[in-house]
Amino acid sequence: MQLSDLACSLPVVTRHTSGLEAARRIAGDRLTALVVADDTGRPRSVIPAVDVLGLLIPLYLREDVRLAAVLDDAAADELWSAAGQRTVGELLEDDDVNVFDILVVEPDATLVEVATLMAAAHTSIALIDDPDHEEPRFIILPTVLDAALTARRLRGASEA
Amino acid sequence: MTFQVVAGLVVFIGAYALIASEKLPRAQVALAGGAAMVLLGATDEAGIFFSEHSGVDWNVIFLLLGMMMIVGILRQSGAFEFLAIWAAKKARGRPFVVMTMLIIITAVLSAMLDNVTTVLLIAPVTLLIADRLAVSPIPFLITQVMASNIGGAATLIGDPPNIIVASRAGLTFVDFLVNMAPLVVVLLVVFIGLAWLLFRKQLTYDPERVAKVMALNEREAIKSPRLLAMSVGVIALVLAGFALQGVTHLEPAVVALMGAGLLALLTGLEARVVVADVEWETLLFFAGLFVMVGGLVNLGVIDRIGEAATAAVGDNYAGAAVGLLVGSAVISGVIDNIPYVATMAPLVAGLVAAGGVAAEPLWWALTIGADLGGNATAVGASANVVVLGIARRYGAPISFWEFTKYGLLVTAVTVALSVPYVLLRYF
Repeated sequence: MQLSDLACSLPVVTRHTSGLEAARRIAGDRLTALVVADDTGRPRSVIPAVDVLGLLIPLYLREDVRLAAVLDDAAADELWSAAGQRTVGELLEDDDVNVFDILVVEPDATLVEVATLMAAAHTSIALIDDPDHEEPRFIILPTVLDAALTARRLRGASEA
Repeated sequence: MTFQVVAGLVVFIGAYALIASEKLPRAQVALAGGAAMVLLGATDEAGIFFSEHSGVDWNVIFLLLGMMMIVGILRQSGAFEFLAIWAAKKARGRPFVVMTMLIIITAVLSAMLDNVTTVLLIAPVTLLIADRLAVSPIPFLITQVMASNIGGAATLIGDPPNIIVASRAGLTFVDFLVNMAPLVVVLLVVFIGLAWLLFRKQLTYDPERVAKVMALNEREAIKSPRLLAMSVGVIALVLAGFALQGVTHLEPAVVALMGAGLLALLTGLEARVVVADVEWETLLFFAGLFVMVGGLVNLGVIDRIGEAATAAVGDNYAGAAVGLLVGSAVISGVIDNIPYVATMAPLVAGLVAAGGVAAEPLWWALTIGADLGGNATAVGASANVVVLGIARRYGAPISFWEFTKYGLLVTAVTVALSVPYVLLRYF
């Protein structure tokens, strides 16, 4: 199986993208992480979706999770609205946020190779280094696992 | 002076400078300094582990450990969040009244808990309240950390320097309450007045925002009323144990450890949770400091300085107390008051041994000066540094000079009020 067969497009944000927009991208595409491009449009970093919550949840709630329970729905709405004024760039500069350099894999890499590189880099998204495509193409962890499990099932069926 | 004495002084002063510069982790510096004292032959294992005068003060270490464990369990209950929000609602969201309530809560909590722990507990809920009121959190955070440094002076367990002084001077929890608490109450009242003068223009009242504070449901912060009841019950027992030291003859460290053990047993929390708030680095820092100071004691340096100080003071203990109080405040404003008091304690012990009852107020002068001096600058106390860090991460940075301009004024006023207190009460 060629890696390009498993490749997909993903929304790419920039450091100027608002927190609210980042949240929409994650929710709309059920993303596990967010790809951040530099000013030239080239993907550079990956931020786990759970870390993007840092833009939505104020510091005081993250520092003291019990406080979240004291807020009513109106207050929660205000919090989500406030995320519109914050940007992905703030996450990139926050020492408490996990920001990973984008993992780049060769188009002929095997599934085990990709899975190993993802595990080592603690990232669920890899950029396929494919000069034939102008648009960046990615491979994501669920696809890698799905392909690996499918291949195993098929091998099991043929042996039986 | 022998080579050993010179080398010991170089190690001590070098370590002090490194701790003050904050270029390296303070625990590592203190432990390295302690190790250097051992290599110099200034102390040994018997001195470090078993000497009451020049070794690690286990009463201090284990009292801190026990209290950190108790706080670690108590904070799971949500009691602090409940208290702060309840107070803000009682103040009906009026910013200065809210500030005053939070000042009082912080000061009272600081009298029972370590200052850093107190501000770490109260800062998030303060940010929430300021956010709801749409006012800057900076005046709230600055006044809270200062209230913490003032309130912590009231009791034996409120501030680490107090623990060191109590252990070295043989003072009890009740001694601290009787001698320090009245002064602290007066200082807090004055401090609230100062807070009004300094910050009233930054605290605007908006009825619409008040409704947002009143909408907070503080009861939701308490996840386990049972845990809260057990924690409050055990803390009451521990405080009673401290207060009854004269009857039970149990050292505060033993009482705190027994309380921590009892609370862990009653709540059945995992060991990981029970020790989650233990600041091992702080405990190691204390141990290293005690070894370094012990080295100087063994080398006779502290005795020599003590003799010189005794000769200089003569029988003018009132003058010595004023000098010690003001000097301690100035020095503690610049360097961490923990190493300062750890170094000064054997010196003051020497003066008290030479002067008897007349010299005993020097302990209070040292304690007051060291505790209040922490407010003078942004780096005067660990709690200040912690709050500045929280404010910066929240996006409301407090600069060194912004803090220090308020801190110098508050310290000058509180120290100026403390001097007549010491003179009138003890001389």
